[in-house]
Order: sequence, then C-alpha cells, then structure tokens
Amino acid sequence: MAEEIWEGYGEGVAPIRAEAEVVRNVREGPSSWRLVLRVPGWPGFLPGQFAMLSAGAQQAARRTDPLLPRPMAVYRAATGGDQSDLEILYKCVGRGTALLAEALPGQRVAIVGPLGKAFRPPRSGERVIIVAGGTGIASVYELAARLAGSHPVEVLFGARTASDLMAVEDFEALEISLRVATEDGSAGVRGVVTDLLESALDGPTRGVDVPGSGRRVYVCGPTAMMRRCAEIASRREVPCVAALENTMACGFGVCLGCAAPLQEGGYALVCLDGPAFDAASIDWERLP
Amino acid sequence: MNEPQGVDTAVDLGGISLRNPVLTASGTFGYGTEFAPFLDLRRLGGFVAKSLTLEPRIGNPPPRIAEAPSGMLNAIGLENVGVEAFIGEKLPAIPEGVTVIASVFETEIDRYAEVCKRLTGVPRIAGLEVNASCPHVKSGGIEFGQDPTVLGRLVRTARQATTLPLLVKLSPNVTDIAEMARICEGEGASGISLINAVQALEVDPETRRPLLANGLGGLSGPAIRPIALRMVWQASQAVTIPICGIGGIENAADAVKFLLCGATAVQVGTSNYLQPSIAGDVADGIADYAVRHGYPRIRDLVGALELPGR
Repeated sequence: MAEEIWEGYGEGVAPIRAEAEVVRNVREGPSSWRLVLRVPGWPGFLPGQFAMLSAGAQQAARRTDPLLPRPMAVYRAATGGDQSDLEILYKCVGRGTALLAEALPGQRVAIVGPLGKAFRPPRSGERVIIVAGGTGIASVYELAARLAGSHPVEVLFGARTASDLMAVEDFEALEISLRVATEDGSAGVRGVVTDLLESALDGPTRGVDVPGSGRRVYVCGPTAMMRRCAEIASRREVPCVAALENTMACGFGVCLGCAAPLQEGGYALVCLDGPAFDAASIDWERLP
Repeated sequence: MNEPQGVDTAVDLGGISLRNPVLTASGTFGYGTEFAPFLDLRRLGGFVAKSLTLEPRIGNPPPRIAEAPSGMLNAIGLENVGVEAFIGEKLPAIPEGVTVIASVFETEIDRYAEVCKRLTGVPRIAGLEVNASCPHVKSGGIEFGQDPTVLGRLVRTARQATTLPLLVKLSPNVTDIAEMARICEGEGASGISLINAVQALEVDPETRRPLLANGLGGLSGPAIRPIALRMVWQASQAVTIPICGIGGIENAADAVKFLLCGATAVQVGTSNYLQPSIAGDVADGIADYAVRHGYPRIRDLVGALELPGR
C-alpha cells in the first residue's frame, strides 16, 4: 500500500532490555536536557515509539526510590555496528528526571524499548502538519525527519517563552517549514500554537497543498493543547493523530496503569495501543 | 534448566509441581506472552496469570497508578479479558512447558465458584489461586480475606468447585494473619499465597486530591517486603500447607529470605515491570545460593531461618 511509508506501524519494533551507557547529558535550556545513550543491540525504532528509562544512573545497588522507570520518546538514533546512540530530550520536572539529569558520561541507565506503536503514516501526497507543545517536540522529530522530502511537512512549535523551546536548530536543518509561537512573544509569533494550526489549515497554503490530496495533523503536547488541536482538525474534517503521555509502570501492556478513556467507552492503553491515537477516538473530557 | 552443579530446584506447591520455586505474581505478568521479548518463560517455576472474572471488565478510570517511596500504588479495578477469552485466546498462546496458574477474582462467592468450575479440566492449567483481597459486595465492600467467616465460606465453596490444586491469596489488611491462614487450611486449601498489596492512600497536597481516581489503592514493591516477610513467617508457624511468599522481591537474596521464613515458593511482582527479565535471574540466583551454602535441594531452605536462642 502506498501509505505504508514505514512498515509495521501497527506493531512497532520488538523491544529489548539493556544497560545503556551515558555518552552525553547536557543542559540546553533552563530546564531542558539532551541525553545521548549508547545502547548495545538496539533494534531500531519507528516514529512515535518510546522507551522506559530508569530514574538515574545505575550505581552499586539498584535504586528503589523513585521506583518506576520514566517513559521517554525516542528523539532520534544514530546506529553504528551493533550499537546505537539514542537521543532523548527531556525537561527536569520531578524527582525521576532530576535524577536522570545527574547521570554522568560513562554511567549506566537501564532502558527498555522501543515500545508502543508507531505513528500511522500519511498517505502519499498528503500535506503533513505537525503541532508540538513544549516537550512534545521530542516525540515528533523522527516523524518530521522521515517525511521530509517525500511530503510537504510543516512543524508548528509552541512554548510559553523562548527559553522553553527545544531543538529548534535540529528542525531548521530539515527540509520542512517551521513556525514557532510563544505566549510572551519572546520567539516566533506571540500567541499559542493552536492559533498557528488554525491559520495553517484555513489560511493561504503557500503552494504546499497538492491539489486533490488531503491533509493530516499530528500533535503532541499538553492535554489541553492536544484536545484543542483535535477540535480544530475535526471541525475541518482533517484527520488528526495525537500522541498521548501517561504514567506507566511497565510500558509494555502489563501494569494496565496508563489507561486512556475512549469515545466508544472503555479504555485504551497508551503504552500498547498508542502512544499515538486517532484524536477523534479519545474521550478528552475524561482524560486526566 | 536451572540446575547448576546438580542442585535440585524442584518444589511441590500444594500439588503443583514446579521446576523451581519462582513464580510471577498475578497482575504483574499479564497473560505471560507480553514477556516473551525479555525472558524465556521456561526459566520460571511458572506464572500466575492476571485475575479472571466471569465477564470481561474494563477497569477503573485513570489515574490508576501512582508512585510511593520504594513502591507504587495501584487501583486497576479488575480489568481483564474474562475467563472465556483467557481459555480461548490467551492460554493457547503460552509456550508449551510453562506452568500456568489461573487467578480467580469476583465480587460474590457464587461467581468465584463459577469461574473455578470453568477453569477446571482445562488443559494447561496446573492450579488455581483464589484472590481473596477483592471487596465483597454483599458484605458492604469489606475484602473477602478480612472477615474470617466470609473467607471460610469462600475457600469452602471454591474447594468444592474444583479438583485442581487451590491456592488462596490472602490480604495483608488483617489483624491476625495466622487466623486467616488456619481458616484456609481448615477449609481444604492446598496452599496460601501472601501478601497481596497493602491498602494505602497517597495525596497531592497542591490539588488536595488523592493521586488515584479510585482514592484508595494497593501498595506494592520493596516498601512492603519486611511486612510480607513477617506475615509469611507468622502464617508458616500456624499451618502445615505450603506458602507462596510475595512482596517486593527484587533479587535472589530477597527470595531466599522468604524461603527461610517458611515459604515453599515465591512470586515476583512489581519488579517485573521495571526489569522484565528479573524473575528468571531470581530463579538462577536461588540455585547459586543453594550451591554456595551447601544445600543440595532448594526445598531444604524452606523454614531454615535460625532464631537467636532465648
């Protein structure tokens, strides 16, 4: 099928568990960090997949407090031989990420991944609009990178202020269109990223729409922002894919902790059925 | 497998023959196949599948889990595929040579009995574990395992409903675990598993709300291990039926502690989430311990705790 830009998006890649070596762990903003992990036997990953990282470096004894690993989007990976260097972008927001920020080069971090399903790829010729809020940008780099060249790709990136933006240079290096919005106007346009989405869908298309083909929105960020994007896309009958976040203990469908409520009733598991969902299938009202 | 230097690792858990004493706890190991990427299931003594109810259940609204010091709270709320889908779809997917114990969970005693009956005679099921920590609807939501009379009726009814070896998983939320263990033995249980998660509450002071949508949850993980060891020890002093020790096991040394305190076998629980291959390592590590300490048979470790003289 023409839409199968990456095979097996429904399954993803089978996961491994490994002790990864910290290659780099550098602060890039007031609270944003970029971690590079060297992972032996990493099987590769598809856009939208994530990994569970244990909180902090592995010392002489395994840490039990905090106990749970943290789900993190795989930002991108560089493979050489039978090991890969994985990049993870994260913000220090709690005890788990604060410990991760203390991990030094040469130390070990336990990783389980890649986990979850990949983003459903766009159809051939579809115009792709990727909306990211805050750390949501970490979930969409691989998507933008793999689609650049084959699809018209527009990335809309929003944050509260300029110093909250992450990885802008990486996106500028891609063959895509990038637009930034900050709430205080310290970078890009002043405003919220959902306004950028509305104008991208309604305004002049600057020649990127291929006549007769569709558009598709991908979104990752805070729940309220994703919900708003889902409404904006739905009102214009544009398919919208939302990548959800949730607390997880395992990441592979066993603890059943990451339930997301569905419109049709019942729950989906963010780790197994997602993280990316058809935004119209999610019951945003009941999503905490 | 798992017999380094001639150590006999086999144990008999109330009529369930296990190649080694390491099981995985219900609710922490799904239906088994989820762990195939990380672990050869045949390294385990066996596993206890996710608790089954008569009908499929969708579970509680989120948030369902929260972190606690060296542990986690959960209130998943009975989410499972139901007994028919387990027999028809999940069980056939489990590799041959893996010992499967089915866990039974319901809200009324008659319904427990129906699930037990349905599972009896199904090939591949080596035994049942009745989860007595579920709130009993007819007793106003108190756990089955918290009321001696209700627990007795539950075990008696389950015993009559199945010819399979019958384990009873006890709630730790009781004053006298020895009394509950004796009731199980008296009503014909083949063995007892303990402890289930400890009733707990965690709160967000900023929002002034419980962290879980359900309010209360069950605390599991290393935080509860010493409580579990104490209860296994007390139960083992009260009954002669075998005990399966559960509670915060992270490695082989932890598992050995439970054996020493009187457990015939153990179940690894929350650690499966963090380290999905850990149960196999625990099994190997117990055998290594036996070699190091000159025990030719792992079952000789059971109850070998040395108490200081008085």
